[in-house]
Amino acid sequence: MTDEDPGPLIRLFGLTRGRARPQGEMFDLVAIVTTVLGGRPPHDLLPEHHTVLALCRRPTPVADVAAHLALPVNVTRVILGDLRREGLVTIERPRPVAQTIDVRIYKEVLDGLRSL
Amino acid sequence: MAYAASEPGTTAVAPALAIKILVAGGFGVGKTTMVGTISEIRPLHTEELLSDRGIGVDDTSGVETKITTTVALDFGRITIREGLWLYLFGTPGQDRFWFMWDELALGALGAVVLADTRRLQDCFPAVDYFEQRGIPFVVGVNCFEGARRHDPVKVRRALGLNPSIPIVLCDVRERSSVKEVLTTLVTYAVEGF
Repeated sequence: MTDEDPGPLIRLFGLTRGRARPQGEMFDLVAIVTTVLGGRPPHDLLPEHHTVLALCRRPTPVADVAAHLALPVNVTRVILGDLRREGLVTIERPRPVAQTIDVRIYKEVLDGLRSL
Repeated sequence: MAYAASEPGTTAVAPALAIKILVAGGFGVGKTTMVGTISEIRPLHTEELLSDRGIGVDDTSGVETKITTTVALDFGRITIREGLWLYLFGTPGQDRFWFMWDELALGALGAVVLADTRRLQDCFPAVDYFEQRGIPFVVGVNCFEGARRHDPVKVRRALGLNPSIPIVLCDVRERSSVKEVLTTLVTYAVEGF
């Protein structure tokens, strides 16, 4: 779909310190990330960390965070995992889809689709 | 303010929810077009580490040849309202990215399998995949310009589909048509809860 250059690999390597997977519990591509209000970011945060903290003041799915950062999904996941470990963001735990969609949500989705 | 604000404010507001829908089917069947027709396209890619075992690797060395590859994903967002979104993910077409399907499919509401009647066999793997995992799916028969309209009964027979699985004739370039495919899928998936 896209020919965008994901950026030099050495930069990605630096952002994640070589890690391919985030620490802690795995999370879904559409898990909601929310910045914890009143968190105290350490001084050594990278610009990408600050970008995430600003973006996720409004709850934002992981895939959107990756698109916003223009970083690969797995790199974004490592960054999010670090922020979660620092207590700066919360990441929604996976839930069965049948538990998340009730009649009200279903109707909202149908109406929303039809009015597009 | 910090700690005081974090708890009480959250109770009244419905939690944000992102609903994931997959768009699968053979190469060139119209997955990218469909995502673009109905949703706001977002650039998304992923770095995947491909382990290349067995070929030219000395087993005793304990070292694998690893290749990092960038995979672009078709990714679109439909905003229903603030805090409620549908996300469409096109599944990677090439066989070597099958391992990514499991991750994409996890927690998905369901899938659209796009079919081209001139190459119906191209969507067999996707049909098999979703059937085996019990993920609800509908088949969208993309009616390409010039291609004759196909009888859904014949498509159902050719794909060996369960009678309950919806088949929708569609044109992925038409927004109204894609809307119909998606509303059919959402309804079918929710009925199965």
